[in-house]
Amino acid sequence: MALHRTCDGVVRRDFLKLGALGAGGLSLSNYLRWTHAAAARPKGAKAAIFVNLPGGPSHMDTFDPKPDAPSEYRGEFSAIKTSVPGIQISEHLPKLAQCMDKYVILRGITHSLAAHKLGQEYVNTGNRPIPSLEFPGYGAVVSRELGGPMELPHNVAIPKNNQGGTGYLGVKYAALATGKTPTPGMPFSVRGMTLDGSLTVSDVERRQLLLEDLDQRFHAIEDKNQLVAGLDRFTEQAHKIITSPKAKEAFDTNREKSSFAAPFGETKFGQSCLLATRLVEHGVPFVTISYGGWDTHRDNWNALKNKQLPPLDEGLSALFTGLEQKGLLESTAVLVTGEFGRTPKINTTRTGRDHYARAMFMLMAGGGISGGRVIGETDDTASGPRHDGHSPDDVAATYYSLLGIDPTKEYHTSTGRPVMIVRDGSVIPELMS
Amino acid sequence: MVAISLCCLFCLPATATERDPVPSLDMRFAQTAENAVNEDESPDFRRHVVPLMGRLGCNGRACHGSFQGQGDFRLSLFGYDFKADHENLLQGEEPRVNIDNLEASLFLQKPLEQVDHGGGQVLDPDSWQLAVLKQWIEHGAQGVDDDDAAFVRLDVSPAEIVAQKKGQTWQLKATAVWSDGTHEDVTPLCRFRTNNDQIADIDENGFVTAKGPGDSHVVAFYDNGVVPIPVIFPVSDKTGSEYPDLKTPTPVDELVAMKLRKLGEVPSEVCSDGEFLRRASLDITGTLPPVAETEAFLSDTSPNKRDTKIEELLERPGYAAWWATKLCDWTGNNDRNQSNSGPERRQGASRFWYEWMHKKVTENVPYDELVTGIVLAKSRLEGESFTEYSERMSRYLVNEGDASFGDQPYLPYFWTRQNFRKPEEQALGFAYTFLGVRIQCAQCHKHPFDQWTKDDFDRFKGFFTRVAYASKGSGKENQKTYKEMLVTLGIDMNDKDLKGNRLYVALAKLAQKGKTVPFGEVIVTPAKAPLNKAKLDGLMAQMNAKDIKPKKKEQLERFLMGRTATVLGGKQMNVDEVEDPREILMAWMLDDSNPYFAQSLVNRVWSSYFNVGIVEPPDDLSLANPPSNPKLLEYLAQGFREHNFDMKWLHREICKSDTYQRGWRPNATNLHDDRNFSRAIARRIPAEVIYDAVRTATAGDREAMELCSLVEKRAIADTTVGSYNNNYALEIFGQSTRESNCDCDRSMEPSLLQTVFLQNDKEMLDSISRRGSWLDELTKTLPDFNDPAAEKLKIEREQKLTNEIAQLNKRLEYAVKKNNKTTIKSIKKAIAVKEATIKEPNTGSVFDGSVSEWVTENEDQVRDILDSAYLRTLVRQPTDREIDRSIAYLKESPTAKDGLRDILWALLNTKEFALNH
Repeated sequence: MALHRTCDGVVRRDFLKLGALGAGGLSLSNYLRWTHAAAARPKGAKAAIFVNLPGGPSHMDTFDPKPDAPSEYRGEFSAIKTSVPGIQISEHLPKLAQCMDKYVILRGITHSLAAHKLGQEYVNTGNRPIPSLEFPGYGAVVSRELGGPMELPHNVAIPKNNQGGTGYLGVKYAALATGKTPTPGMPFSVRGMTLDGSLTVSDVERRQLLLEDLDQRFHAIEDKNQLVAGLDRFTEQAHKIITSPKAKEAFDTNREKSSFAAPFGETKFGQSCLLATRLVEHGVPFVTISYGGWDTHRDNWNALKNKQLPPLDEGLSALFTGLEQKGLLESTAVLVTGEFGRTPKINTTRTGRDHYARAMFMLMAGGGISGGRVIGETDDTASGPRHDGHSPDDVAATYYSLLGIDPTKEYHTSTGRPVMIVRDGSVIPELMS
Repeated sequence: MVAISLCCLFCLPATATERDPVPSLDMRFAQTAENAVNEDESPDFRRHVVPLMGRLGCNGRACHGSFQGQGDFRLSLFGYDFKADHENLLQGEEPRVNIDNLEASLFLQKPLEQVDHGGGQVLDPDSWQLAVLKQWIEHGAQGVDDDDAAFVRLDVSPAEIVAQKKGQTWQLKATAVWSDGTHEDVTPLCRFRTNNDQIADIDENGFVTAKGPGDSHVVAFYDNGVVPIPVIFPVSDKTGSEYPDLKTPTPVDELVAMKLRKLGEVPSEVCSDGEFLRRASLDITGTLPPVAETEAFLSDTSPNKRDTKIEELLERPGYAAWWATKLCDWTGNNDRNQSNSGPERRQGASRFWYEWMHKKVTENVPYDELVTGIVLAKSRLEGESFTEYSERMSRYLVNEGDASFGDQPYLPYFWTRQNFRKPEEQALGFAYTFLGVRIQCAQCHKHPFDQWTKDDFDRFKGFFTRVAYASKGSGKENQKTYKEMLVTLGIDMNDKDLKGNRLYVALAKLAQKGKTVPFGEVIVTPAKAPLNKAKLDGLMAQMNAKDIKPKKKEQLERFLMGRTATVLGGKQMNVDEVEDPREILMAWMLDDSNPYFAQSLVNRVWSSYFNVGIVEPPDDLSLANPPSNPKLLEYLAQGFREHNFDMKWLHREICKSDTYQRGWRPNATNLHDDRNFSRAIARRIPAEVIYDAVRTATAGDREAMELCSLVEKRAIADTTVGSYNNNYALEIFGQSTRESNCDCDRSMEPSLLQTVFLQNDKEMLDSISRRGSWLDELTKTLPDFNDPAAEKLKIEREQKLTNEIAQLNKRLEYAVKKNNKTTIKSIKKAIAVKEATIKEPNTGSVFDGSVSEWVTENEDQVRDILDSAYLRTLVRQPTDREIDRSIAYLKESPTAKDGLRDILWALLNTKEFALNH
């Protein structure tokens, strides 16, 4: 695969030497390199968990309370103290208040795309969306850069990946979607990955040998054809995943000790957090958890208090604590974000808050950063960052850096256009200190 | 003004001709003792200074071409905005170019690194380049003028490079031709690049070195010129007269052979009948041939049987179903993008779209006519009232009787897509779909690999600005009717819960009850009174002025947009007084001289058959991405036009060639060929086709025949792309998402999840064993076995399953205690599956002996079964080795059914099944 650099720095993909695969050849050869990528990487966290809160959670009613703001802004909730002196968060996040030392609150993250789709694309890729190019989500980039063991998928979405696609990197880095979340007390597995009850491993081994013997048509060109070689590789890896106790074990949250599992709670979100912890423990490099329902134009406080916040409080605090308990927090970078904040000024006709991108919160934990801090600050009414504020691009650059991935590394789109992983962000220095 | 023209007289000798171009700048400005620089020559900003900055890298993306500029200095990316670049150099508080004090110009100090320069030193003090820049400033640093001669073309010699050995070299010479007749050698001002540095390398001076066998292009860029020069490096000594005698029965074969002869690539043998049938059926009809058809074809001895088969396949329902799907890919039929399209949102509009395409392909409506139906689409028919329109649409929506959306002449939904509402989106999407051209780059800057400029892009937009979607009817009269219809339907317009999409949902429900509901409509806003040219130009100039206030600019844009438009590569025209500007666009596309319209379709169809386009990627017709075989592309495009855009002509012309019917086995000369069509390239079967192929291959005989002819329920006729009912298997196999103006929305790549699916997904395993499947029907004819070994295995398995059931029962208890209803349900289901497995019913007859003995005694029957298994999956007979292995496997299996199930499973998991080869 030859890439051609010209005097103006523009590189265009060359489609001539791709073997029988066309553009796919690239993916396969890259794919074949996946498993080796990890060894050559600089130091960084080994895995990432991305908690996606589509809908746009209200920043003022969660992690950026303004108890002294005028009533048309403040909202119904009061703020409570956390385990870290001087930091306050919403009263409906008591468990997260207790483990404040494990994570960092980023306040006054700011951008200008107050529409769901655009905002989601932005915070899930760290690049401001443009019409001519789709950027890859975190999962695609991280699984491409970090690789992982053969018998496990490298990018998992719980329960599905409704945003943060693979963009110009192509579907090969797509998340394996679990499609559902674990149910407490029940074994858990992903579609197609677990053997049907009527087949034993030895049945499958025997069958696999038959397949190997009958699948000889292209034997003569195996070493000359990337497609054939790649399919052989997939056949092997799929078989390993299906028959390996490791994959089954990684997904089966039911094998977790109940004392460990209990704090995650029985909600879908809590169970997703439990699964993510387990997957990371077993070597999956990237896990996305999606938890929606944050678009609280109406009835904001009721929805938050009774529906949205308790699972978040329970699940997320268990995630941080659980990762630490297993010794994984240091090597796992966690990012929690919605696509924007919500209007500081209350929409009184609907007792709600509307889309607001000028100020939002994010959380980060693990990956070597020290918790118990607030970085950034909003003004008195949480209407904007008090100083310059950081952009989603900056957060992305930081997140990738924690994972030992150079955010300025260049990829090439299928049309050969060179693009940096994060086009316009710089690492937030306070966060790394 | 006068001074400038005088100056131009000096700058280029009037004697320059084609044969004797003006020598290159590096000669004229050489800083040597022999050369006396003509101090009267004034270097030209557009012809010399900007290209020179390009060569030095100043306007690159990483330097001053970045949209933020660099160090407070910005140039247009890839340098085509001459006015802005000139202003950026000469204006501002501290201009880069200091006319009064040449030496103090940052423009010179920076590249010489006399002051700190992020880009380092890029100019040598003794260089001709510096001399040119200095002299340009000394002569007043003139910019461009509207009256300047226009760039005509770039000539590059040699026109083709044929290499004999590695290390051979050539110097390209590039001559720019301007509308004033001047020819100037601009070699030292060009940018050069190679399309494949493993075949030929090119340095920044246009010096080419042969690197290795194969064929590619080196490309020269200057101003708006992009000239690719083919480089051919034969891969064997079998070229010219040494080339073997090759049968070329069709024009396609001859044109392909012409290229192969030059390259010394000998094509592979023509493929076997089985390979042909499988390939042609999959490609033409998206369908795996049923066993009976395969057997008949293989035993047919008539010499024309392949041509006859192609004709037959082109008449099958599968052909229309599958190619309508491909056309839906290219035109972007995506349900989610219609989610604001009125009552037909959520699988109304997307179904209509497919029905329309399907009908046109079934009737073999010529491609130009089909496209006209999309491009000129309006929702209401000529003379139709809003009420009549709504009545007609309501009937379509209910899908009642014979009325089909496919009957109507126009497909307006191409225009109602959510990602096709703004003029720039329309320009991009239109160019993608009908021209196979990517103008994305030109949206913001000069296209680095094609002739398109930002101006071209902006002016192309003008054709689309008057197309609109009137969601509640167009004009006061129709809007009134719309409201009246709502009232009749009992809908309260002030009901806040019936706004937007909620209203559409309510309307769709009413339509299902047989009511007539109002629909939105695609319209073209009326023509405006024309502006005279002077006024138009004046307003344009105002709009483009640098210091214009944003608000004013927006007002002017609104006023002016859609008044003028320019087809890509054409002249500007006033479209304000035209009734429908799209007609001009359509006429331009259908013009014989249009280079894109026919080529883009021909190339896409070709690419569907060969997995690689003559231009690759197939949706990127651009100067710097030339076709691998231009004559072949032109032949097909020309023929397509001459045959009145008859799509079946095109399919026949391709499929009946030996080129299409080559085998996949490479020989020593064509092993690495993947773009000259000397052999078949194995590729994964497309999502819908492989999904259907699994169903056909596992189906019982009768069902397989049905699937072949009744295509409505097949994945190749899927109308749900982008909806919330997406099929898991289709999704993971890369069905086109139809959302981003790119043929790459369809993925032909293999993935881990696909293999997991084929090996172990329940849906997959069920389709092998389901009721009515081949295996199910077959099993009814097989005996049970009275064999101690089989019995032992059976008992072991039963034991295992019983244990598992016991475990599940424990979990069930827990779930009951917790009263978790979904869990209880799923555990119960799991238990039922396992219990059913234990109690697999006996089939009647009992063979008194082992499976192994039965196989030995009934070898003929077993061989027939194996034949059938191979024919239904791989469309060929098994080899002796394969028969031996399969029989051995059967003999070891606990039951014949288990053994055959596994054999079918294995065949479905071979690469040979998943690939079209």
